[in-house]
Amino acid sequence: MKHLRLQSDGPQRLRLSGLDPVLLDCLQSLPEILNQRDAPGVRHRLFPNPTTGETETNQDWQRLITPELHHLFAAAGETVGRDCVTVVPDPQHKNHFQVTFAADHLNAWMCALNQARLILAELFTITDADMAHTDFDLDQPKDLALFRIHILGYLLQLLVEQASS
Amino acid sequence: MPQTGTVLVSDTKSKEDLDIPWNVIVLNDPINLMSYVTMVFQRVFGYPRHKAETLMLEVHHKGRSLVWSGGREQAEHYVHQLHSYQLLAHLEKSE
Repeated sequence: MKHLRLQSDGPQRLRLSGLDPVLLDCLQSLPEILNQRDAPGVRHRLFPNPTTGETETNQDWQRLITPELHHLFAAAGETVGRDCVTVVPDPQHKNHFQVTFAADHLNAWMCALNQARLILAELFTITDADMAHTDFDLDQPKDLALFRIHILGYLLQLLVEQASS
Repeated sequence: MPQTGTVLVSDTKSKEDLDIPWNVIVLNDPINLMSYVTMVFQRVFGYPRHKAETLMLEVHHKGRSLVWSGGREQAEHYVHQLHSYQLLAHLEKSE
């Protein structure tokens, strides 16, 4: 990922370049990962209750707020999915790729990448100790999930730096 | 992303509930990036970077942090926003 860069491409667009095939595969896996946001065990993480003991408030929240958040999260994933359709070869680096997207999609990208990391973590019960692992057997589903969490985290870090700059 | 408005979840809260200070609590999780959590605190609460980082580190090291305290409706609004950024947050009555 040494060539990975996020930079302005004109006043209102961003260009993510230097995507190696591994990163590209992670990005192209996003729709499949995000489609599991309602899987058992995942939903409570993405749509938590607002209180620890107020049953009525929690029920109201799940009825009124959760659908709005669900829509927000789904829309972010769809935005990134549409942006990723425009991936092209990176002219600067052989066997690498780039994608440009509207700067105001930055929040959607952060939302989608963070969602994907959280979903993978819930699906595979990732712990603090797991996150410290650096040796992956990518034939093992949990290791593959961990690997993707780290890869997407690396990309998310670039986006956060851009958003904070 | 999250551009959320204030939502009054229930209209059955007592005046006492609305008057008592409420705390907004953020819980640690092993996945969210520290830089992401810092950015969210800056965006949601308008905190300067140093304060946002201090709160983020408290979440990271202690497992939770009281990130805001005040009226019930505003606390709900903040929890709503924090959930929209996928942080684990809830409100609780101040002791």
